[in-house]
Amino acid sequence: MSETNTGMVEQTVRIGARPETVWGFWTDPQRMCEWWGAVADLDPRPGGVCRIEMGGGPVMVGEYLELVPFERLVFSFGWQPTDGAPDIAPGSSRVEVTLIDDDGDTILTLRHTGLPDSVADMHAAGWSHFLPLLVAATDERRAV
Amino acid sequence: MDQALRAVADPTRRAILRLVRDGELAAGEIASHFPSMSRPAVSQHLRVLTDSGLVEVRPDGNRRMYSWRREGLRDAVTFLDEMWADGLARLKAAAEREEWPQRTRTGRGPIRPERKGTQR
Repeated sequence: MSETNTGMVEQTVRIGARPETVWGFWTDPQRMCEWWGAVADLDPRPGGVCRIEMGGGPVMVGEYLELVPFERLVFSFGWQPTDGAPDIAPGSSRVEVTLIDDDGDTILTLRHTGLPDSVADMHAAGWSHFLPLLVAATDERRAV
Repeated sequence: MDQALRAVADPTRRAILRLVRDGELAAGEIASHFPSMSRPAVSQHLRVLTDSGLVEVRPDGNRRMYSWRREGLRDAVTFLDEMWADGLARLKAAAEREEWPQRTRTGRGPIRPERKGTQR
């Protein structure tokens, strides 16, 4: 189920692995880089850094906010300023991941909230700079 | 989509968007909010905004009326939706490889990563 409400992204996926296995892909740098980013600096405890360099330059800067092992993980999500993009606000959005054990599989739900609901919000949160960077990063990935 | 994001990266264009957000305005009315800018420069910004789908334009006699097109920005959230869909599909594949290495090696594969849960 995928839903695009204004200001929020929510997705659910069933994974043929236990929550204990899936958890590692959000907390272990090596595993994180198997699916997202090229270099990850992760300190999975409340207040710990969650920094992920995409191939090609842009860097996601976040902070772990909540961790309930194998069940729930929340981190802030922003973008590190790069040349020409000064007023980005890391921490302006929030990613919430929940893992539910379903007979040995994992039902993963991801909610990305705090996304801009209007152009004014985009301006306030620096999203107008953040989003083009994301586009660039994804275009690069797709080009590979 | 990409165009919409680049369009809002400019402060003047964001200011124009805020002006037309609450109602339709003629090109001249918009230009009057930017006294230090030439009319052609304002027109150029309006063209970028309409090309990107963020703003709609309609003729009214000899005037051109501009208004905000809300769907234009929704595309930005759709983009993030797709970013996560791609990421979670890779995460699913990687986690299943780790959980079931022997099945992967023998070629029978783990439970197939059917793309449950993402509609574009």
